[in-house]
Amino acid sequence: MRRLLLLRGAELIVFAFLATIPLLVVNPYALGLLTLLAIYGILLIGLDVTVGYLGQVNLGHVAFLGLGAYTAGLAVTKLGLGMAPALLAAMAVGLLLGGLLALPALRLEGPQFALATLSFAALSTTALNELESLTGGAQGLSLTRPPVFGQALTPPGFYWLCMALLAMVWMLMRNLLASQWGRAFEALRDSPIATDAMGVGTYRHKVAAFALGSALGGLAGGLYAFNFQYLQPQSYTYDLMIILLLGVVLGGRKSLWGAFVGASVIVLLPNLLSNRHLFQIFSGAGFAAALAAGLHGLMKKTVRPFQALAPVVAMGLLVIGGLLVENTEDWRKAIFALMLFSVVVGLPEGLMGFLSLFLAKLFRVPHAPLPEPSDIETILPPRSPDGAPLLVLEDLKRYFGGVKAVDGLSMTVRSGTIHGLIGPNGSGKSTVVNVISGLYTPTSGRTLLRGSVLPTGSLFRVAQSGVARTFQNLQLFGELTALENVMVALKGVYRSPLPLVLLGLARLEERRAQADALCLLGRIGLRDQALTKAKDLTYGAQRFLEIARALARKPDLLILDEPAAGLAHPDVVQLIEIIKRVHQRGITIILIEHHMDVVSELCDTVTVLDYGKVIAEGTPDEVKRHPKVVEAYLGQPPEPDASGAPAPEPA
Amino acid sequence: MLQVEDLHAGYGASEVLTGTTLTVKQGTVVALIGANGAGKTTTMRAISGGIKPSRGRVLLDGKEVQGLDASRIARLGLAHAPEGRKVFGPLSVEDNLLLGAYGRLPKFFGYRAKAQADLDRVYELFPRLRDRAGQASGTLSGGEQQMLAIGRALMARPKVMLLDEPSMGLAPVIVQEVFRTIRRLKAEGITLLLVEQFAKSALEVADYAYVMEHGRIAVEGTPAELSRNERVLAAYLG
Repeated sequence: MRRLLLLRGAELIVFAFLATIPLLVVNPYALGLLTLLAIYGILLIGLDVTVGYLGQVNLGHVAFLGLGAYTAGLAVTKLGLGMAPALLAAMAVGLLLGGLLALPALRLEGPQFALATLSFAALSTTALNELESLTGGAQGLSLTRPPVFGQALTPPGFYWLCMALLAMVWMLMRNLLASQWGRAFEALRDSPIATDAMGVGTYRHKVAAFALGSALGGLAGGLYAFNFQYLQPQSYTYDLMIILLLGVVLGGRKSLWGAFVGASVIVLLPNLLSNRHLFQIFSGAGFAAALAAGLHGLMKKTVRPFQALAPVVAMGLLVIGGLLVENTEDWRKAIFALMLFSVVVGLPEGLMGFLSLFLAKLFRVPHAPLPEPSDIETILPPRSPDGAPLLVLEDLKRYFGGVKAVDGLSMTVRSGTIHGLIGPNGSGKSTVVNVISGLYTPTSGRTLLRGSVLPTGSLFRVAQSGVARTFQNLQLFGELTALENVMVALKGVYRSPLPLVLLGLARLEERRAQADALCLLGRIGLRDQALTKAKDLTYGAQRFLEIARALARKPDLLILDEPAAGLAHPDVVQLIEIIKRVHQRGITIILIEHHMDVVSELCDTVTVLDYGKVIAEGTPDEVKRHPKVVEAYLGQPPEPDASGAPAPEPA
Repeated sequence: MLQVEDLHAGYGASEVLTGTTLTVKQGTVVALIGANGAGKTTTMRAISGGIKPSRGRVLLDGKEVQGLDASRIARLGLAHAPEGRKVFGPLSVEDNLLLGAYGRLPKFFGYRAKAQADLDRVYELFPRLRDRAGQASGTLSGGEQQMLAIGRALMARPKVMLLDEPSMGLAPVIVQEVFRTIRRLKAEGITLLLVEQFAKSALEVADYAYVMEHGRIAVEGTPAELSRNERVLAAYLG
């Protein structure tokens, strides 16, 4: 209860306060600013989906504001629609065009994605400008605010509408981000490969997220049109885009409050710049804050000298500029640039990220109590393996240019067994795993699971078919907790359709997911660290967490890629115990490992590869004695030499 | 040659090292063993300047180096062959090796000739690197990359070499080769601090060893002493 009060209390108070403002203040100018605050709030929440949650630089968001504005404007002027359908149309255009842009653009990464969105923004501004017959071109488009349900809206009425929509967007986004969807967004930023391998579908989530953010851009655009009642293509260019990015970064990414704070700054900035005296006070305060924060950080050694100094210099430039320059508005772009620079360097987490550290100390928000773990029998009901072939590889080949990494491999893994795969470095083990799990497409050959052909070249589709894997070089979702890492991968729990999730009606299955994930964490001895971020776990715990996460897929076949790599002896002992426990549930395992004692203790059958071909197969004892295996892989056991004296030279 | 006194270091707010003290005498091989998360790799990073220690001293050949940039420390004679090899993948094997000697070579002309003797020495130690001198190092097998990482560290003619988990992810036959190499370097008189998950093998080559637990040294002694220590025996030597 206390938790709910703390978390929701601030939101309630702020929105209740904002709702009463028109009753207290009758200054139309102030009301206009607050209306803009609501509109920018919606816009920035939409931008934060891509910039914050997907971690992609999106330079095209401003285009959706423009497209939404013109859609709403044209719907009213040309089609004579009312406000509600016009806003819906603006949203739909954002959603649709956002999805269309995302389909190709999100195949790109980093700078290329940023450029693709930038081109889209340029294209849409040009289109709005040139389609004169429709948009009025540079002349602009005038409209009058249509009535809502037959009632003409007064300025306070429109303000309430905008605030109500912001509150609604806020609530829906909060529900979405607290659900499996939000976790998927975070997960795919940390490791797209693992997100696919856990059957979540990186690409479709990214496209959906981008379309959603663009739809919010469109909605904000519609409100923008009805607010100004006059539209011009030049309003939606990169100038505004820089300001929007400043808002998100300054407010704090991945935070609804951050978007709100950012929107407030954006709304207040022009007023700040139009008054020279105010600007001097502001830049002086910014300078003092940067100086204090820098000194504090240096004393506590939490920041590097550059990080402390750069914002001070940038803010210092603002102060000097404020004293020298007559008309600060002429310099607005330079001022934004300096501010953006200071924030990126000095406050990488934004104002809210910075504040939340303090707030978290002031108000200790207890984590919601975790449910009782589910029973393992319900999550992983024991299977009775029949020993029939589960996975069959038929003459599998994978070449990289001239390198034959896998060269005609045939192998049968029987259900209920632990099947070892060993071989020298570079013998093709990892390539085999990557081909089976869909990361690589085979050059030729087939893989069959229970007699039916496994899809090739798609981690996601192979994962859907019942194969789960871990990664040799850990692919955890570092920013998520151990519990959330497992929850992302949970199969068969999340069934609620998106509308229910948005309305916050999917809590039950969320509890169920937590209970299931806790149970799986218990199997690897990490229940006590369920709420620790994966990146803060010890190396051994991270290795085990990969196994728990793969188990959440409830797989028929589990592939463990060097689970003991880098583990010290005590952890290796625990690992063996964990794998045994998994095996007891009747799950078939392929184990790739260099620790021969692990292989000997666990495996029923071992296949030895060299140069992409099988050189031996049999029980661990058989292959250990096989002369080819001794020569290529095991080597002669070293003579005991405890004195540390120089050993004989290798032959 | 290398002295570490009461070293504290960590990542962000979490302190991993809580007062590590150890000494590596000239011409000796010292092993550092312990469970995952005990702070072995962090110790190495704090010594070589990868992270800045928050407290304590690091003395290299009697000179304080804690808090200096990693490149400065490297020029003062400390070479670090990091966990996971970290070779420069797109560069050729030979370029990787030459970069190892970067700090003490002329930058534009004549560096090749000056480095030739060292290259020959590394190629003699690892003949397979000579065969692959022109090949992009990212295409080498894991074992060969480990050889390259050691070779690159040797190119600097270091006073002290840090070797972190050289056997990680390698086939048994290659692990044996890595340890043969370490023995050979030891015979040549190298000063080496070795972190290794195969504690038994590490103790076989070491002159002295430290066991880390929770960010500090829990037990130390000669390998013979540690092998008699019940607790160490049970926890680390299996």
